[in-house]
Amino acid sequence: MTAQAQVAPEEASTVGSAGRLPLLLLLGCGILWLLAAGVLGLVAAIQLHAPWFFENCRILNHGRVEALRESIWIYGWVGNAGLCVALWVLARLGGEPLRAGNLVVIGAGAWNLGLLVGLAGIVLGDGTALPALQLPGYALPVMLAGYGAMAVSGVLSWAGRRRSVMFASHWYAVAALFLFPWIFSAAQVTLIWVPVRGVLQAIVDGWYTQGIWSLWMAPLALAGAYYVVPKATGRTLPSYDAAALGFWCLVFVGPWTGGRHLIGGPVPAWISSIAIVASVTLLFHYLIVLINLRWAFGGGGVALKFVAFGLAAYALGGLVDAVTSMRGVALLTQFTHFDSAQQQLAFSGGISLMLFGAVYFAVPRLAGRPWASGALMTGHLVLAVVGVALLAVSLGAAGLIQGAALNEPAVPFAEIAERTRTWLLVATAADSLILFGNLLLAANFIQTVACRCGRDQEAVTP
Amino acid sequence: MKNGFLLFLGLFSALGLSWAGIVLGSYAQLGALAPYYDDSEAQSFPQRLPGIAARGQLVYRDLNCASCHTQQVRRPDFGSDQARGWGERQSVARDYIFQPWVQLGQARIGPDLTNLQSRKPTAPDEEDLMEMLYAGQGAMPAYRFLFVDRPVVGQVSEHALALTGSLRPAPGHEIVPTARALALVAYLQGLGTGYDYPEAKPAVGGGEPK
Repeated sequence: MTAQAQVAPEEASTVGSAGRLPLLLLLGCGILWLLAAGVLGLVAAIQLHAPWFFENCRILNHGRVEALRESIWIYGWVGNAGLCVALWVLARLGGEPLRAGNLVVIGAGAWNLGLLVGLAGIVLGDGTALPALQLPGYALPVMLAGYGAMAVSGVLSWAGRRRSVMFASHWYAVAALFLFPWIFSAAQVTLIWVPVRGVLQAIVDGWYTQGIWSLWMAPLALAGAYYVVPKATGRTLPSYDAAALGFWCLVFVGPWTGGRHLIGGPVPAWISSIAIVASVTLLFHYLIVLINLRWAFGGGGVALKFVAFGLAAYALGGLVDAVTSMRGVALLTQFTHFDSAQQQLAFSGGISLMLFGAVYFAVPRLAGRPWASGALMTGHLVLAVVGVALLAVSLGAAGLIQGAALNEPAVPFAEIAERTRTWLLVATAADSLILFGNLLLAANFIQTVACRCGRDQEAVTP
Repeated sequence: MKNGFLLFLGLFSALGLSWAGIVLGSYAQLGALAPYYDDSEAQSFPQRLPGIAARGQLVYRDLNCASCHTQQVRRPDFGSDQARGWGERQSVARDYIFQPWVQLGQARIGPDLTNLQSRKPTAPDEEDLMEMLYAGQGAMPAYRFLFVDRPVVGQVSEHALALTGSLRPAPGHEIVPTARALALVAYLQGLGTGYDYPEAKPAVGGGEPK
């Protein structure tokens, strides 16, 4: 339960100098992309209540800003920081220094270069307008190759682990590393290289969206959480036997939620019916994760608090997802800001906060020196938690108002925009809080990693 | 769980099952969906987009209009889509088979665009759509980069926008849509689910089949 005051020397050296450069490079890229996504998210949020904002800028019209923001958040932030966490966890659990660090550096280069090319493609008009796969086709193979190179290191750590036992973090990290290339390439082929016909595009894209959520993003974040909670609290996880059930529930049931956003659409009804059943079944997974990691809620350092709030947002996001997947509720919430509220709760809340927790825990052990500023850490925690809560509530309220108004045929769209305006303003404020918090993380990270001055006396480890 | 091989097998089968179920399953059901030939009209439906409209869909896709607009009408008892005059019937999978990049959309910040050319009581014509794109309307931003403000040389262009008030161009100037704007508007006007397929007729519930 007590936060460690200092990093034990042997702990800092396990992943050691071999892992320092590649993993900190990944994390640095991830934080940069997170800031970029935050700025774009702010622009998009402002445009929702002030449509004139950047309206004459062909790069920053609302549709493209949304496409850029989403791509940067998923592939830039989660792709880099999530992989950093997964590789670090695998190396630590393997008990050996990180292997194939050079490949990680090369892979990170290719991944980020591909992403950059893809974003330039969106700006130049090659965006695909497919949710979660907005990047144009020519960027994707480069990213896939980069991902493969990075994953080698994780596979080596896993295959060469000193003890044959596997922990829950192992399963989640291995699942994320191994499954992403398959989903990513299957979606590329069926949506971009040889596109399927008609509404099948929407169905496959739904499968892809929910697939990378439940087989990649959530496992990356949970790999970190399952590692940090027992380490930071010094207690073994309760009901560990159930952890496997929770894991397999997510992996087997998660991708079947693919028809989640196609309810009532021009697709066979069984697709959305299965998605509803799957969304509700997934509640079992969320429950087990909460039970497993409940020591996180007992207090502790900043890292643990991040994980705790992340877990709460993750489970709440799952609950909201299950409830709004019901046809009766979807009637009110479908196509509205409520969907974004759920997504923000799960993404900026669940995934980001859990990743922050892992990052705050890992960096001192990676860099060999504690975080430069404890105040910045606390500031980030407060801003992130308040920001996410405010964002989810305001978008949720805007969504309910919008949904009710959409169902009244007499209400014109200008009137709907007017009615939701106040809440959208609050959502913009929440977006700025989150962005400001992430700036604190960036400042702290740069000070910690780049500054060579000895500040160890006053420094803090979560 | 200690066995790495079993872990991989499980992961792979989880992914494979969902892929087979959702992707292959729906492909088996819809992949071979053919146009519907109507004997009385002696032609088949849906019809392909004309060339300029197909190019317009690329503009729609590139500007990601789907981030605010849907193109799907839901059935009468599910939402107010038909009460809002967005279509006489629900959209069905067959409506989309000839669209190269289907834009179902997931948000309705703006109205659905499926049957824009058959709105009641008055459907927006080309001029209305051009002006809406140029000037914006309500929560919709303006897309002025789809237009050119140029000095009139000789006759005023036939496509020049007839703008009034503060939007009126400087004397001797005209506002002309670019090729992209023309294609986009042609696409929006070409969107439509006018033909009633057998599967698009609302099912009358409760009774025995006749």
